[in-house]
Amino acid sequence: MAERKKRLSKVFNYFCAEDPFAGGVAFCSGCPLELTLRFTAKVLGRDIVIVGTPSCSAPVLYGQNIGSWHKLAYYSCLMTGVASSATGITRYYRKIGKDITVVCFTGDGCAADVGFQPLSGAAERDEHFIYICYDNEGYMNTGIQRSSTTPFGSSTTTTPVGVARRGKETMAKNLPLIMAMHKPPYVATATLSHLEDFAKKLLKAKEKKNEGLAYIHVFSPCPTGWGVATDMTIEVCRMAVRTNFFPLWEAERGRFRLTHTVAQPRPITEYTKLIRKYRHLTPEELDRLQREVNENYALLRHLTQLGEQA
Amino acid sequence: MKAKGKGEVKVITGNAAAAYGAMLCRPDVVASYPITPQTEVVEQLSRFHADGLLDAEMVEVEGENSAMNIVAAAAIAGGRVFTATSSWGLAFMYDAVLQASGFRAPVVMVNVNREMPGILAVSSGQQDMICTRDSGWIQIVVENCQEILDSVIMAYRLAEDFEIQLPVMVNYDGFYLSYLAEAVHIPDREDVDAFLAPLKEQPERTKLVPGEPLGCGTHGILEGFMELRYKHCAAMERAKKKFDEIDQQFGEFFGRSYGGQIEEYRMEDAEIVLLTSGSACGTAKAVVDRKREEGLKVGLVKLRMFRPFPREKLTQVLRGRRAIGVIDRSVCFGWNCGPIYMELRALTPEIGPVPLLSFIDGLANMDITVPHIERVIDTTWAAARGEPYQEVTWIPLEE
Amino acid sequence: MVKLKIYTKYEAGWSNADESFLCLDTGSWRTQRPVVDKEKCIYCGLCALYCPTQCMLDKGDHFVPNLDFCKGCGICAQECPRKAISMVAEGEFQE
Repeated sequence: MAERKKRLSKVFNYFCAEDPFAGGVAFCSGCPLELTLRFTAKVLGRDIVIVGTPSCSAPVLYGQNIGSWHKLAYYSCLMTGVASSATGITRYYRKIGKDITVVCFTGDGCAADVGFQPLSGAAERDEHFIYICYDNEGYMNTGIQRSSTTPFGSSTTTTPVGVARRGKETMAKNLPLIMAMHKPPYVATATLSHLEDFAKKLLKAKEKKNEGLAYIHVFSPCPTGWGVATDMTIEVCRMAVRTNFFPLWEAERGRFRLTHTVAQPRPITEYTKLIRKYRHLTPEELDRLQREVNENYALLRHLTQLGEQA
Repeated sequence: MKAKGKGEVKVITGNAAAAYGAMLCRPDVVASYPITPQTEVVEQLSRFHADGLLDAEMVEVEGENSAMNIVAAAAIAGGRVFTATSSWGLAFMYDAVLQASGFRAPVVMVNVNREMPGILAVSSGQQDMICTRDSGWIQIVVENCQEILDSVIMAYRLAEDFEIQLPVMVNYDGFYLSYLAEAVHIPDREDVDAFLAPLKEQPERTKLVPGEPLGCGTHGILEGFMELRYKHCAAMERAKKKFDEIDQQFGEFFGRSYGGQIEEYRMEDAEIVLLTSGSACGTAKAVVDRKREEGLKVGLVKLRMFRPFPREKLTQVLRGRRAIGVIDRSVCFGWNCGPIYMELRALTPEIGPVPLLSFIDGLANMDITVPHIERVIDTTWAAARGEPYQEVTWIPLEE
Repeated sequence: MVKLKIYTKYEAGWSNADESFLCLDTGSWRTQRPVVDKEKCIYCGLCALYCPTQCMLDKGDHFVPNLDFCKGCGICAQECPRKAISMVAEGEFQE
């Protein structure tokens, strides 16, 4: 008989409410968004107002006629209007004396591209809400197109691999860093392999949003779009952290600190080999990707050192 | 019921009048973004706020698209809201404008008419109003600075009415009214509170509340979608009569009324009709008076409500006339005529095959002058007498 | 006067979970299902935490999937630290 742990993982202690979503909702098998949404709702509680956008999450967040897939209050937007609608809702409630918890839940296509302007404006104005961006590195709901956070070399339907082209030519935008440069009260990166880290960041965001924007960037591998086996979602998250492709950090008004340090970062190939969208990459292209990872991490290290000195 | 206070008369610009109108109605959330010729509206509101006269959440946004999303969402959360824009800004916020009307958010916005891009122009024109005529908003057009202030107040009564719940756009000519200073009577705030008080006695509209399982913006599927569109159209229909009632009550309360959907000027025995909207009506009334002195039986119909289109009122007032001349301050692409003229043509089955003439004038700050209007009336009178006429006349371009 | 069918009491596109709470039959999607070996399970709960559909049911000393909603992704089996879960093809089960 195996030795039994007497207690469940302490992550369970972070849940303050039941899952408000229906048992069966329209996310792909193994989708990280489904876990992120259910997890976030259980950690933050029932009286959050979700602001959503057309995306992979829209078929679940938005209802169908009178019916709804979950018990939360929500407001549906177009991609251009998420951060601004959240601003309108929270400003009205502040006027009547209530600092409610509004959570924007969008993908990278909205946050980094078409919805970036209002997000940037809201961050600069210290608006009081939480903005969660799930970064699945593309426009997935429309069938896997590239966005500005799609990494170099990725094969997508608008950056396909063929004789004339070899996937996306440019490096990804470092959106969490860009948001941190607005110096809002709280910016953090998180992923699903490190759930306690994520839960802590959600709670910190809930507290910090009373001073201004709290932004969390969640690394979300898309099994369907990236070519990852449905059971490998969490492992891909873990490997992204272990290779420093996606370091876990937080920044409060521009003061950075790492929330998880990787002692021996693995080479990026250990990450890319799990993902089919990179399978065409040559050793030179993989080197470029590795250099980008190294440079990004070096910059982050500098910023965290400055954060320690301040 | 009558207003109790005296108010005060100030010489202020049209933009300032709009700002006063909004300030008196105590909005909860105001979104500000500058664009000529509207900028003074948001400057004035910011000034009111800084001086403690306006207790609102002021949001200096980074673009008009955000401005509309902010006020629409705040209205759905239950608030009273205000913003202002013009031409390009209106175009930039277009997706949010559709959202506001589709969500039935009672937003009140002033749109200071300016030519739409395509040809760069920082000048007056009604093309921006025309570009949004199918947005599902209620659209009003006004003639002078007093009417701007009064219409903003009436707009809140209309937008937030439980039977309406539609966003209202108050249009006024950029440059002609925005920067024109006139003597304007500013009512006391308590009187405006009293005029808007009937809204509090109505049932509460559906709101977004944390903790309640209500979501705004569900996917409309088949009949569910059609039903919502139907309800939206039905609400627009109700807005016509409601607007007339509100205008009448405003008249009883403040001593000024404007006729509701349309104003009829010297129309009782008019044989020919001049129809136009906006600041040109002021000049048009003077020309109608002059022509009347010469013995011509001409009258003016001032179009105040553009959306919903005052079909019944216009049918009633235009029936039995000998010719109708419409001055448009915009164009209808694809029909090669003025847009209001084009909409009037749709009434022909009801008003009969009377000569209808389209006059395009006043684009990009071209003045619609007394001689122009005289020419319009003369041409319309010639058509009434059975002479051959040109359907569309671009007044400033023709010899 | 036309009589119309009414689909919603609201004037605009509101949904109300109390009036209509939707649910998909996602259990019918899967082609394999998790089978938990109670003896190997150490009741850490990682399968329940990592399950995207959050369908793992707490049985006091081990977890089992709610087959109404389990999509068969296999994350629970992959993440289990004791390899107490195996994914078995649906065809193996007669229902």
